[in-house]
Amino acid sequence: MDDTALPHSTALHPAVPAPRLWRPKAKTGLVSWLTTVDHKRIGIMYGLFALFFLLVGGLEAILIRTQLAVPNNTLLTAHEYNMLFTMHGTTMIFLAVMPLSSALFNFIMPLQIGARDVAFPRLNAFSLWAFVAGAIILNIGWFLKAGAPAGGWFGYSPLTSREFNPGSPIDLWVMGLQILGVASVAASLNFIVTIINMRAPGLKMMRLPVFTWMTLVTSFLIVLSFPAITIALVELMMDRLFGTNFFNVAKGGMPILWQHLFWVFGHPEVYILILPAMGVVSEIIPTFSRKPLFGYPVVVFSGVFIGFIGFGVWSHHMFTTGLGTMATAAFALSTMIISVPTGVKIFNWIGTMWNGHLRMKAPMLFALAFIWMFMIGGFSGVMHSAAPADAQQHDSYFVIAHFHYVLIGGSLFSLLAAIVYWFPLIFGKITSDRWGKIAFWVIFVGFNTTFFPMHFLGLDGMPRRTFTYDTNMGWNTPNLISSIGAYMLAIGIAIYMSHLIYAYFKGPKAPRDPWDARTLEWSLAAPIPEYNYAVIPTVHDRDTWWYEKQHKEEIARERKAHASEEAAHGGIHMPFPSYYPFLACVGLLVGGLGVAAVPFGHKLVVAIIGLVIALIGIYLWALEGNEGYHLHPSKEELES
Amino acid sequence: MFHPKDSSPRDLIRRSRRLGSALFTALVCLALSGCSSWLDGPQSTLAVDGPVARAQLNLFYTTCYVILVIFVLVGGTLAYAMLRFRARSKADEHAEPPPQSHGNPIIELSLVVASLGALVFIAVPTIKDIWFDYDVPKAERAEALQIVATGHQWWWQFQYPQVEVKLPYGGQAPLATANELVIPVGKPVHIELRTADVIHSFWVPKLAGKVDMIPNRANHMWLQADKAGYYYGQCAQYCGLSHAVMRFRVIALPEAEYKAWLANQVKPAHTVTGPEPAHVEQTVFKHYKQNQFGFSDKWMATSPTSTLNLWRAKQLPNPNEDPALIAKGRKLFQAKTCFACHTIRGHEGIGVTGPDLTHVGARSTIAGGLLENTPSEMARWISHPNLVKPGNIMYESGYIPNHITFQSGDVAALVAYLQSLK
Amino acid sequence: MSNHSTAVTADPHLDPTTSTGIPNKKLLLWAFLASDCMFFGCLISTHLIYRLHPAPDNIDPTKVFNLWLTSGSTFVLLMSSLMMALAVNFIQKGRIVAMRWALAITIFFGLIFLGCQFYEFHNFVYEHGMTITGSIFGTTFFTLTGTHGIHVLIGVIWLTSMLIYSFSDRFSKADAIDIESMGLYWHFVDIVWIVIFTVVYLLEFVR
Repeated sequence: MDDTALPHSTALHPAVPAPRLWRPKAKTGLVSWLTTVDHKRIGIMYGLFALFFLLVGGLEAILIRTQLAVPNNTLLTAHEYNMLFTMHGTTMIFLAVMPLSSALFNFIMPLQIGARDVAFPRLNAFSLWAFVAGAIILNIGWFLKAGAPAGGWFGYSPLTSREFNPGSPIDLWVMGLQILGVASVAASLNFIVTIINMRAPGLKMMRLPVFTWMTLVTSFLIVLSFPAITIALVELMMDRLFGTNFFNVAKGGMPILWQHLFWVFGHPEVYILILPAMGVVSEIIPTFSRKPLFGYPVVVFSGVFIGFIGFGVWSHHMFTTGLGTMATAAFALSTMIISVPTGVKIFNWIGTMWNGHLRMKAPMLFALAFIWMFMIGGFSGVMHSAAPADAQQHDSYFVIAHFHYVLIGGSLFSLLAAIVYWFPLIFGKITSDRWGKIAFWVIFVGFNTTFFPMHFLGLDGMPRRTFTYDTNMGWNTPNLISSIGAYMLAIGIAIYMSHLIYAYFKGPKAPRDPWDARTLEWSLAAPIPEYNYAVIPTVHDRDTWWYEKQHKEEIARERKAHASEEAAHGGIHMPFPSYYPFLACVGLLVGGLGVAAVPFGHKLVVAIIGLVIALIGIYLWALEGNEGYHLHPSKEELES
Repeated sequence: MFHPKDSSPRDLIRRSRRLGSALFTALVCLALSGCSSWLDGPQSTLAVDGPVARAQLNLFYTTCYVILVIFVLVGGTLAYAMLRFRARSKADEHAEPPPQSHGNPIIELSLVVASLGALVFIAVPTIKDIWFDYDVPKAERAEALQIVATGHQWWWQFQYPQVEVKLPYGGQAPLATANELVIPVGKPVHIELRTADVIHSFWVPKLAGKVDMIPNRANHMWLQADKAGYYYGQCAQYCGLSHAVMRFRVIALPEAEYKAWLANQVKPAHTVTGPEPAHVEQTVFKHYKQNQFGFSDKWMATSPTSTLNLWRAKQLPNPNEDPALIAKGRKLFQAKTCFACHTIRGHEGIGVTGPDLTHVGARSTIAGGLLENTPSEMARWISHPNLVKPGNIMYESGYIPNHITFQSGDVAALVAYLQSLK
Repeated sequence: MSNHSTAVTADPHLDPTTSTGIPNKKLLLWAFLASDCMFFGCLISTHLIYRLHPAPDNIDPTKVFNLWLTSGSTFVLLMSSLMMALAVNFIQKGRIVAMRWALAITIFFGLIFLGCQFYEFHNFVYEHGMTITGSIFGTTFFTLTGTHGIHVLIGVIWLTSMLIYSFSDRFSKADAIDIESMGLYWHFVDIVWIVIFTVVYLLEFVR
């Protein structure tokens, strides 16, 4: 590239330290949040955005359930309903559960490995803002005349081709998912490097907390599976924008190809959603049983095994597409196999509780409910692996019941557990255990009331993605019960959210390590300083913090020695905050909207403007360098 | 609930398991009896009438049993652990931590082996069924009825390639009908699955599990009805705006009745002639709300046999037909360009974009299985297609965008004409 | 704290500040390339799947491809990889001027490759009537090779930016890791081309 094309080409000249002038200085206020590179602040923002979208997706679900409460309902039109179920799925998966896991990865994982930040702090900020850009593009359709995407979260071709869906909504869906993919892959690369390269001394891989292990496996899954959907979306976008023939039936295109590419991504995605949850539960159950995790290596390796086999089962989403006998049999068997490591985890959680002292606090209740609900969801999953039986269950409400047991009963319950569990560490306040338990029971009952009847609906032949059903199909009662349950679930979530908000503003201050926990992050007292650890800890055992609590004198001696060593090296190195990751994401947003929402003829101009903004951001990001400043913790900080 | 000090742990495990499983069985029985009315709908996969669906159901039960056993064992242990080891008091919570044990490889390994063993019980019948469901058994393949089913947004075309009919302007083509597939009882039916546009999925739960209709992909399936009946089917793959209302029926008839039906279908459209009847009742059409249930109360029946009789009634000739009104309707069918999309063999219709209407009067439903085939519902369909089935082509590129309007009485005439096509 | 690029060590392959000794940037790039492997894997699979299920009106690729030209450009790209390897070697030894020359030649070869591809595309479209919309073969061919071309283009831009940056005072031997990471990317793009050249071009001539 010609360097005159760079608007800040002077920055290339060594004599001008231009980038330094552009460093944000604010430590508080909006700008400080937009430019932060602190993994804890980024984690909190991920969490808040995710909870917001959880509520949006929940509202969509409530509308869906209201429409289906009675047969032949006219609350929603077919088009409104189709937009709602499309966006409900897309929102819950990509904008609620994944970023909620990401929030925990960001906040907790570096603390668990005794690091002061992730490996690439600015890349981390970029991931967050790219996620926000993607979320905006996905949802902006609600405010446009053409409406939100209505092609289903799976976007099966050729329904999503220009012939059957000519408007901008599908383009928004494609661009939104592309940018979310960039965000997820960038974040995952960062986590991989962080976990492999930034562990505290003594923290061998087989001493990593299980949550960190699952972060690592999940990150690998994201890095390896997202390219498949990226290519699928690229091909779809090429078809839509340039009239290519990937899925053009008239020219010999095969829409089945979309399904393969989509599910090569889509099935690992299922594990991307559930493995972090398993990691969380593997932290909470030992803590509240006051015992180490039963069979740590088995839990770890079963997680790795799930991640690995997760790439070999995608076609079980396609048992009804006429795969042929051999392929169907192969995928049926591989699907059965993958249930074994999942079962192993359940055995190990029970083993952890065996002979323990179970303290039934709110996080523990959510974690135990996770095991129960995940077990039910897992069992109906095994039922699906019997391909011929699945021919009846596929795309029926039985499947809806199955994956909500896995995704709400599984992922969401454990994430709700995680929020309550780590709340004292993140916000320095204790949540009310009583209200946590009330929220839990309302959510638990509401959830089962909503989704258990759906098993029966599916077996009674109700297909999914239908905006209405006739009154003579025998589906009225279960649907009504299910809708009542959905309202109860919503009330439960409302109680849960309120008890968090109350705790944040009015809750009692949390002491250090309120749960008598086991992993390293609990050695810190909230609020955690920006450098996390005044002295980088040395790890002696799998349950590091538990060990430290048993060996206080040895640890104190060690800390003293390390502290003086570190002071001799010039103190704690902290990275500067930066404007440029945010700027690059503004470019992504403009470019994405340019490709998707702008009419033909102007697309190119807006897309290029977006690209140029993004490039400027990336160049300045590269040129400002990765310098930082040094901090010297005070004496009491060092000793605390 | 339990008092660990009173009895040995082994005793307790036994007792709690027994109690747990008894409780669970009771719950399941209660649930099943309470919900049995939830499982006998017209699309129930648990009350089946054909070998394919039955094989799938048996496999489903097998998976159910295996899983129930595992659930009782694992769930029982989990429940026991939760109850037995929970801290019962504040003092308990702050007691000395229990021994910090790390696991037991022998237990782990045996559990892995046990779960693999349990899977064999599912895997073997699964493999067997995959081959059974794939195609008509070899011995019967030659005499199977061949059907080509084509999914359209949002209706179904069924062709009988073994039955040729004469086309209006010469040539032969397979017999084609729409939305109601009529088959003989006890004979295997091999169905080629095609689509005219997007992906659909052919699903008649009581006869067979679904198989998708995918563009550029030669899918097929087979099914067989064991007894005469009227079976509900529905598209199972999201196919756009009106996916929810893309329905159809499969009607299984005893061999003789099937032959008679076929003989009538092959004939060109029925033309009503003769003197005007003394008294013709003027049809009064109801006013409809959007998405209103399109069937009369007698269709609340769920048994395939009783609904079959409703279908049979539809095969009988209409009483009191008005030849003049019907003739007017036939003219309107041309004037309003209906003929360009719909075939009516022997009459003017030549189009193939929409369903074949040669014998539409003898069908029990219209609009893709969505409405009962009565004059009143047909009038609703013709006058407000987009309210009945949003986004359908009759509306999208049909007469409403062409500003075709109906004079008073036009709809009644069209309805009378179409109803006469038995 | 992580990006201790200032930490100059004797062995360029070892970063003592990380748990594994592998520099963070290198590990990041390896993980990214794994991701990119899947990316190209999916595109190549698409091409191969459609090759097995050809549309009736497909073009006969052997009549369109000019093997001599493409073999030539493949050779040039491989030579650019050699120059890239030399550049990494030079900077690790602190020979910045030699590195600049090696980078410049790498860029030059990369541009020759892009020029050949541009000529090839132009030739296919205007001489042979093979367009991206005309047939499924055109669609998968142009998308796959075009995506690879964009990777090469990004590489050339990256190399050029680095070359310009190497004249800055801030540039030193400590930046060897940046050059090495760039080299990893460049070699990867070349290896992908070998695969594409084999399965897209050569395979068509196997009878």
